[in-house]
Amino acid sequence: MSGNTGSYIFSCLFVLLAHGGMLLNVFINGNYSSISQVIILAGAVLILDAAYFVAMPFFKQTTYTVDFLLILILNMSVIFQSCFGGVSLDVKHYITSIVALAACRGGYLVCRNHKWLGQQRKFFYIGIGVLMLAILLLTGSRSMWISLGSITIQPSEFIKPLFVLACATSITEQQKKHKILFFYVVYENLALFGLTAAICLLQWWCRDLGSLPTFVGIYACGFLLRICYPKAKFSKKKLIGAGAALLAAAVAGMRFAPAYVQDRLHVDIWSDKNGDGYQQSQALIAIAKGGWFGKGPGYGGLHKVFAHENDIVFATISEEWGLLYALMMIFAILILVAVPLVNPPRSYFHGTMAAGVCAAFTVQMALNIFGSCNMIPFTGVTIPFISSGGSSMLISGFMAGMLVACQSPTMRAPAVHNHERQQPQQPVFQQQRRPYP
Amino acid sequence: MDQMNLILCAVAAATLDVCALVLIMSAYHERSTGDRRWNRMTSFMELADYNAAYPLGCDEILIGRHASADIRLPDLSVSRYHAILTVSDGIWTITDMGSKSGTFINGVPVKQAQLRENDIIKLGNRQLIFRRRRDANVR
Amino acid sequence: MKSIKRCQRIISLFIILFIGGMIALVVKIQREASFYMINSEETSLGMVYDRNGDVLFDGTGKGEYPDGHFIDVGNLIGDDKGQMENTLVANNIQKLNNYSFSTGLVSEDGKAAIYTTLDHAANRAVYDAFGYAEGCAVAYNYKTGEILVCTSLPSFDFTKGYDDIANFKSGTLISKNMYGTVPGSTQKVSTVIAALEIMGADKLYSKRYNCTGSYLNKSGDRIDCHNAYGHGTLDIQLAIENSCNPFFAQLIEDDDLPLGKLKKVYETLGYAVNGEDEEYIDINGIKCEKASTTLNDPYEFKTQWGCMGQGDTLVSPVQLMIWQSAIANETGKVTMPYLIDHVTNVSGKVKERAKTQTSDRLFSADTASSVKEMLLTNGQNNYSWSIGGYKVGVKSGTAQVFEGEQENSLLVGFVDDPSLPVAFCVLIEDKNNTYLTTENIVKVMLDSLNNDLNG
Repeated sequence: MSGNTGSYIFSCLFVLLAHGGMLLNVFINGNYSSISQVIILAGAVLILDAAYFVAMPFFKQTTYTVDFLLILILNMSVIFQSCFGGVSLDVKHYITSIVALAACRGGYLVCRNHKWLGQQRKFFYIGIGVLMLAILLLTGSRSMWISLGSITIQPSEFIKPLFVLACATSITEQQKKHKILFFYVVYENLALFGLTAAICLLQWWCRDLGSLPTFVGIYACGFLLRICYPKAKFSKKKLIGAGAALLAAAVAGMRFAPAYVQDRLHVDIWSDKNGDGYQQSQALIAIAKGGWFGKGPGYGGLHKVFAHENDIVFATISEEWGLLYALMMIFAILILVAVPLVNPPRSYFHGTMAAGVCAAFTVQMALNIFGSCNMIPFTGVTIPFISSGGSSMLISGFMAGMLVACQSPTMRAPAVHNHERQQPQQPVFQQQRRPYP
Repeated sequence: MDQMNLILCAVAAATLDVCALVLIMSAYHERSTGDRRWNRMTSFMELADYNAAYPLGCDEILIGRHASADIRLPDLSVSRYHAILTVSDGIWTITDMGSKSGTFINGVPVKQAQLRENDIIKLGNRQLIFRRRRDANVR
Repeated sequence: MKSIKRCQRIISLFIILFIGGMIALVVKIQREASFYMINSEETSLGMVYDRNGDVLFDGTGKGEYPDGHFIDVGNLIGDDKGQMENTLVANNIQKLNNYSFSTGLVSEDGKAAIYTTLDHAANRAVYDAFGYAEGCAVAYNYKTGEILVCTSLPSFDFTKGYDDIANFKSGTLISKNMYGTVPGSTQKVSTVIAALEIMGADKLYSKRYNCTGSYLNKSGDRIDCHNAYGHGTLDIQLAIENSCNPFFAQLIEDDDLPLGKLKKVYETLGYAVNGEDEEYIDINGIKCEKASTTLNDPYEFKTQWGCMGQGDTLVSPVQLMIWQSAIANETGKVTMPYLIDHVTNVSGKVKERAKTQTSDRLFSADTASSVKEMLLTNGQNNYSWSIGGYKVGVKSGTAQVFEGEQENSLLVGFVDDPSLPVAFCVLIEDKNNTYLTTENIVKVMLDSLNNDLNG
């Protein structure tokens, strides 16, 4: 962080200021019975902020923007979640936030050396295979949850980062072509396609239709970057072909979807306000009640509705904090995924990885927000970092760590395990010098 | 109360906005740090031919005639994907990708070779020099 | 480098798509927030006013009104209780709510209101004129489309609630103006329009048919005339004035009026012929039926009666009235009716000011002029005394309903006066049980409107 100390401290201050502004709003407008609740919340948030700021420099990164955005969003979501239906610290969400921060560190450490990571590719496939088996065998009766005592985990969430990693590729890999019949193909692209098909089938089978578009989104990214890579720019024919195929698949999917999906696609939420359309209609009414500036933290009425803290969290936040604030929260997450635009990754592997993470996050947000607002069928997907839920937070944190890794990569050959070189390594001039012609 | 609510919401939103703005600005600031670090990691090298210099901005650089190549040499003697430059530990390596006309370093045909400063790379009829960036010493 | 740029392009693509979706979402929420709000339990409704500022519906429930203040337009304006669906309030309730996305729900002193084109005084006068009789009356400005009078009896006072709903007479909760009824001889106007369109005026005026009180048609069924002694030999003008059934039966059998063309004109006019899907007129969200009939064979009893307003023919009074606008304006295009002049939002800002709209051409301007002339002559010859003081063009009708057990009396027409451009349709049910005539109602209505608009 040489040379960035000023900017680091400046960023710390403004993150604290943003949280302070929110806490002030809670303090003055909030719905709380005793002031101690607000103090506990403020204490928890500010202590986590401070601890993170102190711990951060120990990871010698080139850039810290993603980390600041992450702590900004996570503590924002802690405040949001703590205010639903009355101010009191949501301990579970607080803990999962800390877990997410730790996962982010883990993600960074795992992903920062892409050359080493590229060699571990078989483990991604193995990991995904194991998780898919777990879904097949351990989740009871076609559901997407595995319950271990009091904890339930969602294995399909864990597939996401592995799938992003499997989709990431380097140029060198893409040049290893093999001839099959008349076509030059890269084996790995075939493997990836097979993997995607398998995952999609599995998701379809266990009716986790919310995750399906996420995987398709990630794969679309990988596909575009892999297949379209060798052609000049984006080959228009291939893009149109892929688009048409996707459209055909979507249409076919809608035609032959199981009955319960059909029901979801055609439900008119307003004529079935108290049945299937209950969550969505209540969510929309809540957004309408909140208006631009909201009813005040803790004064919302949506906390009585099932899944208010994850599936329709956008509406819950809109009602209490106002649509403006909810939009800005989404904006903050968008900045997080847009950081690679400002500070470009230094390798194709990291670039494709960043694109995969971006696809995963935006698709999930789109499914959640547009689904709860009745623009597209409603599926139970989470907004990264904002919705509560352990698996989701952990994985979102890990994927944020992947973004951090893109920003602060190490360029070392995998076999070499010595410390990171701080000094510029001059090319070796004296050894094996070839004669000039 | 209503008025207060409005003002505070606006304040909270504004602080968030300012914070986001500051973070975007710091990202831009960090970009230069990142560039410097990258240059250090890659030994401040660049490729140049008689009329242009090609910066080496990422760790795999494809040289060839094709429009999607990172360094495009529009010359029929250069293969579509001719060679790839990679870096690790600050050392750049050039690898020939099965080109028709071959890759020559200082006149010696190579499949794969580490590059040193002021090496002349010949790809078909085109010659590139691997040299230190001009502005690097001025820094 | 290019490879990295490609990744960045993909990221930008996803972000731009998402932001596009968010913008669509915000726009959608902005536009539909009032609708969402109406579906919640919390509402704060405003007022519905008539054209002079008289209250027609009070959403606040705080105002004091004399007994039966709302009764004349009760089943048109409706209320927010959900008992009546095809009413102004039920279909425009989100315009009435004191809510906007930026202000939220305003429970005190919200200014959301609907300003209708109705004339409460005239409605009241017409309602009172009906007395114990039942039926409906509708009138509108055929130049602009403003509905001035739209009353339907029996009606009720919704401020008294629905506790007594079991004892409500049938038809209390709907405005009969919006629903199909047997048009009787008023249908002959449509038939004349069709004949003029197909034959042209000269040919039609040259047609002469004999009426001997009844007519045995070509398939052997007897068409009775209401004048048992017959009208003798008639031309079209006299046939209209006398509403002679044998004349029209012979006209329909005439080879110069092929049924295929007749059907086409009817369809253009808006009839759903032979069980086609009926279309509706939308009057500020209120669904108003158009017309339907059955036409199979020009020699058939049922088809002939269909063209004379019996048989399967059903036309709503509103539809009868708006055809008159095409005649009165001599354009062949009807002026579309509307009820809401403008709406004010919660802060009192005027929105959605109504505009006059006309339909496509239904028949030629020449036809319109000819029919107008016929109806005006009829008005002058037969109604100048009963509807004195106005230059009216009218056509009366007597409709047999309930298998002939009851006769309804209808009168459709228009006032040919630029200062009182009113087209109307009045229906009195079971006319044999009352001394009231449709002319009385029209006279009361026009007096009241004239007084209000020009007085």
